[in-house]
Amino acid sequence: MRYTILIGLLLALAAPAAITSDSVLSIAIYGFMAASLAVSFNLIFGFTGQLSMFHAASFGVSAYIVAILVTTFKWNFWLAIVPAVVVVMILSLIVGTICFRFKLKEFYFAVVTMAFSEMLRLITLNWNSVTNGSLGITVVDKPSIWTPSGSIAVSSGIAWYYLTLALLVVVYIVCHRILASWIGRCLAAIRLNDQLGETLGIDVFKYKLLSFAAGSMLAGLVGAFYGFYSGFVEPHYLSITLGLDIVAMVLLGGVNSLIGPVIGALVLTALPHLIELSAELRIALYGAILIFVILVMPKGIIGLITSRKHAA
Amino acid sequence: MLLDIQNLTKSFGGLTAVSNVTFGIERGEIVGIFGPNGSGKTTTLSLIAGILKPTSGAIRWKGNDIGTLTPFEVAQQGVVKTFQNPQLFPELTVVEHMRIACHLHIKRELGMRRLRTLFGGLPGELDRTLERKIDQMLELCRLKTQRNDEASALSYGGEKMLGVAMGMVCDPELLLLDEPASGLGHDEINNLDAVLRDLKTHGVTLCIIDHKVGFLGRLADRSIALHHGAVIAAGKTDEVLANDAVVAAYLGKKHA
Repeated sequence: MRYTILIGLLLALAAPAAITSDSVLSIAIYGFMAASLAVSFNLIFGFTGQLSMFHAASFGVSAYIVAILVTTFKWNFWLAIVPAVVVVMILSLIVGTICFRFKLKEFYFAVVTMAFSEMLRLITLNWNSVTNGSLGITVVDKPSIWTPSGSIAVSSGIAWYYLTLALLVVVYIVCHRILASWIGRCLAAIRLNDQLGETLGIDVFKYKLLSFAAGSMLAGLVGAFYGFYSGFVEPHYLSITLGLDIVAMVLLGGVNSLIGPVIGALVLTALPHLIELSAELRIALYGAILIFVILVMPKGIIGLITSRKHAA
Repeated sequence: MLLDIQNLTKSFGGLTAVSNVTFGIERGEIVGIFGPNGSGKTTTLSLIAGILKPTSGAIRWKGNDIGTLTPFEVAQQGVVKTFQNPQLFPELTVVEHMRIACHLHIKRELGMRRLRTLFGGLPGELDRTLERKIDQMLELCRLKTQRNDEASALSYGGEKMLGVAMGMVCDPELLLLDEPASGLGHDEINNLDAVLRDLKTHGVTLCIIDHKVGFLGRLADRSIALHHGAVIAAGKTDEVLANDAVVAAYLGKKHA
């Protein structure tokens, strides 16, 4: 599996040489950002067993903060990421503390996190003086990258392609390192039998909170980039629909791995463009895929591939 | 006194499950708690392990009150409990269970230095020590051949032994065993008996509850008999077993 991932990464690095269409490049860029979101979400959902509906909020809040700091206060993009991620960390620690102190699980956790997420969306929608309400904020600036020959603005499709690919690699590695360490074992214990984990000395509350905050902060990191690529930030970024899209990506790809969500996100980002679909139909398609996957392939695409391997 | 329990009481609404229980455990002892079903044995153990909070009374561990601590804090103090119905992590293999159970050991060894291992993995020496320990414990608990099997494929007795092995790999000072022999066959009980005696020679203090009087009778240095949540007899195991009140509690007054 490790080599397959490496080959996939090399192909992704080489791909722009073969891609001539801007729209294909753009799908790949959105795909990488969606994949980063899905991977960070799976740290909380697939590996800790907590169905967080707060992910879109983390993503959207950070997108707003970076956009406001850069457009209104003329901050540097990279610098603006820091307070944005810190705010997301604080929010996720507050929401997580409330949910985990009250031992909310499964459905209850999902509903309460969804309520917090909706609360933040309504704030962005109605706080006109800061967020410009339902119109959102237009972002014309582009982040720049320092090179030995001076700083260059990330404006071309190719530059964004590599920047978002790098983002995905960073998010993936962070999650992978967490899961491969002793923390990963604690998270597995919490997901599979938290009562047993607790009697073995694992601080269930602390590790749940850690996973929730780490995943949410990574979502915040993705949000910072997203607004700058799309050119605008709007309340829809914090919507339940986006939260459900992420769930669909993870379920389609496979909840038991980190690479599964990447595949799920790429497929679901590309699919509506391959078959022309209106927004309403796209949501219907997501729903249909979700139902199909849960019923027929609960381990997702990755589960299908690996079970084939075992059978062979 | 390692563990000192004073006037421990636990009520659930109108029902008093444990009533005014007082006893102590010295280091290196095997203490048995027995009594018929519903006599408050499991509740007592759950109170010590922090799973339940006492209504009144004190639980002192090395002189400090641990009655208000959460289960993981109690475990960190060195008191680990196994479950009457074997608790497992579904999907995981036997050795993966053991690695999770090493959590406390890693925490004790590394403290906050654990954060550094996020990028380099565990220090090689600690990793080898832990793997050696896991193998030793699996061998002691007769689970070595099933090391890489999924734990859910173990027999009932195997699952119970895995519970003991996981508890032991935490290096507890006091291991609380909740009916380790229930549901086991004759051979498995003999096996368990041998394992627990082995543990005792390793300096572990054990507190075992069971309603199988025979098994506990052979093993425990000292016993406490509970009935309707109260202590009805305490002292040397054979004396407790011969106590009239204990016989009456088990068999009814006619046989006493």
